Amino acid sequence: MTFTSFSFLIFFPILICVYWLTSSKYRWFVLLSSSYFFYINTKPIFALLLMGITVSTYFFTKKMHQSNSDALKKKYMRYNIVLILMPLFFFKYFNAINAELIETLKYLHLSVTLPEFSLLLPIGISFYTFMAIGYTIDVYNEEVPFENNIGILALFISFFPLILSGPIERAKNMLPQFRSQKVFEYENFVKGSRIMLWGYFMKLVVADRLGIYISAIFENIAHHNGTTLLFGSLLYPFQLYADLGGYSLIAIGTSKILGFNVMNNFNRPFFSKSMSEFWRRWHISLITWLTDYIYTPLSFHFRKYKISGIVISLMITFLISGIWHGATINFIFWGLFQGIIVSYEAITNKRKTNLELQYNLNKKIWYSCFQIFSTYLLFASSQIFGKTTTINESFLVFNKILFSHGKLFIGQPSTFIFCILGLLMLFINDLTDEYFPNLFLFFNNKNKTIRMLSYSIIIIIILLIGVLDGGQFIYFQF
Amino acid sequence: MEVSLFIFNFNAVMIKKLFSNLIILSLIVFFLDFSLGRLLRYYYFKETSGLHYRTTYSIDSTKANILIFGSSRANHHYVPEVFKDELNMSYYNTGRDGNAIFYQVALLKSILMRHNPRIILLDYAGGFEKGPEYYDRLSSILPYYRSHKEMRSTIELKSPFERIKLLSEIYPFNSKMLTIIAGNFEKNKSRNADEEGYVPLYDIWNERIESITPEKKYNIDSIKVKAFDEFLILAKKSGAKVYVVYSPIFLKMKHSKEIEICNEVCKLENVPFWDYSKDTIFLNNNQFFYDIQHLNDSGAKVFSKIICNQINTQIN
Repeated sequence: MTFTSFSFLIFFPILICVYWLTSSKYRWFVLLSSSYFFYINTKPIFALLLMGITVSTYFFTKKMHQSNSDALKKKYMRYNIVLILMPLFFFKYFNAINAELIETLKYLHLSVTLPEFSLLLPIGISFYTFMAIGYTIDVYNEEVPFENNIGILALFISFFPLILSGPIERAKNMLPQFRSQKVFEYENFVKGSRIMLWGYFMKLVVADRLGIYISAIFENIAHHNGTTLLFGSLLYPFQLYADLGGYSLIAIGTSKILGFNVMNNFNRPFFSKSMSEFWRRWHISLITWLTDYIYTPLSFHFRKYKISGIVISLMITFLISGIWHGATINFIFWGLFQGIIVSYEAITNKRKTNLELQYNLNKKIWYSCFQIFSTYLLFASSQIFGKTTTINESFLVFNKILFSHGKLFIGQPSTFIFCILGLLMLFINDLTDEYFPNLFLFFNNKNKTIRMLSYSIIIIIILLIGVLDGGQFIYFQF
Repeated sequence: MEVSLFIFNFNAVMIKKLFSNLIILSLIVFFLDFSLGRLLRYYYFKETSGLHYRTTYSIDSTKANILIFGSSRANHHYVPEVFKDELNMSYYNTGRDGNAIFYQVALLKSILMRHNPRIILLDYAGGFEKGPEYYDRLSSILPYYRSHKEMRSTIELKSPFERIKLLSEIYPFNSKMLTIIAGNFEKNKSRNADEEGYVPLYDIWNERIESITPEKKYNIDSIKVKAFDEFLILAKKSGAKVYVVYSPIFLKMKHSKEIEICNEVCKLENVPFWDYSKDTIFLNNNQFFYDIQHLNDSGAKVFSKIICNQINTQIN
């Protein structure tokens, strides 16, 4: 079951009724059962893995809690992290590393047969593993108390709105909410439904439609010219944004209806004026997770090297971010690319600020536009590594973009027009939210008729031009 | 006065407000869905050219003696002129891009309700593999669900919730809006021209490909194989001569699981199966191809002639 499957539209209203009609003492149990039911519907066997990670995390954090020695606590923390990372490495990286190894051996004219497994990546494994690791470290650092009720911990790791693609939540935000007495609130219901509706719009109307066009380009790189590849590369970040952003909004809205506040995952990233700002607005839950659990300890460790220490920490953090996205050389390149840009910005930040102050650049519209556009261009270029499967393919795209131009591929005119329409709606919405937050209010309008019509029109647009068949969330693969 | 509903922590005013707003929203959505859906339905069936029109014509109007079924390869590989000249029979091509066996079964069921053709030719392009694609593609016949009861069981293969989804008037026309608008314009007739369903392709494939990488593991979808068998049974029952053809492809395929299954089912149903996937007239012959999967008009003419000769030998 996914958020866009029809079965979810049956499952969720039933859950809302059962959940709110159950005594608050047992609501966590309703949520836990429904979360496992939701997950089992994707592939039953993977629920065992989820259970294993929960039991391991509970066992080792309990040991940490009971232990008085810091060394012993550290040992248990490490044991758990290694243990719960093992399935992630096995499922996600085994075959990829194997393939790379076979290629290298072939290159060296060595013929060694390595075992190959047909592995299907358990959906959401990267997300719930990171949540479990975060909780383990928080317990070790005594930022979060040990959760004695294994059911609540299991719910935190398996909470169905978040399990498949995040946001990667923190124990200190979620555990108290699971324990608190909740009252059904009309405002939360309306707010949550609005968020969900816009999430569905982003996913079905924008992301999946763009996906059809972009796949037609990137699945046949050899047959497309540079103009088409450039256009596809410029559109791809929007597809990613609408896909994970849309999914995150559905997750946030679902949680809200059930009375939970989940962290925001995107904050209109394409209006960022630098890559450092971009990474504070894009996939926020992953980036803050990496900042808290990797970048901050690393920069503390390397603090004596001053700016070089920051650069080393940034490079390692983005490298890990790249590897988290996929076990290919492409994602390593992607991570390094991001690391280099953000490091460059960190090094030149002072100089840049001085220059901006000297010429009063921040007040000039052309300068803001230039910054926004160049940031977008940098991100779109880096995503070429993410969208292609091999480095050769990535360089072929870059090469074609630079040297081979021609007629733009349109494909099916209706797909192309729907892509542009959806994109335009999303862009205008983000633009007004960013710069004119009170100018055009539709969902939040004080006039009930406008509000109702806005909801209805979005539903009708989804029915009319949303991609209602097939289509998977891009981030399920991570 | 607010009445507290004890254990649920709700209050009646809030519940009333919630339900009244939900009802208002549902009514607006229902009204918009109904009116827009009806409008789309009206104009869908008023189309005079294009993809939708050809499907509607196949289902509701064709009385041709030779009927070609299949996907895009059927649509682009069988030239009506050649068939009419060689076999002296009327012809219509029901092939539609991207649609496979389910579409063909549904179409055949509908056509046989009102007309019995003399020759049924199914161009089989594979597609027995497990996967959602061909189920999703059934969306192309959703507009006929209401008026064609015989199609319903096939359409319901799309998902267990299809019946509920089809309560929406817009849903059958999802993503079809622009094609409907285009299909109602006269200009579309020349832009989207067809000759009795056949859509010719004129370019020449200028590239070379070494090989098609075979799929590592071929998971057979028994529902698709069953649908293929059902097609053959229905076609035979109608009294028509039935032929299954695997039409030419630019290069030799390394795996032939598809063809193997096709052959087995045809043998079982005693239907001739002609495999042209390895025919040397066409293999690696750029002049005859539009792309690696599709013959261009020149290739289609040569191929149609070959098929007509073979049918003639069978008939006589």
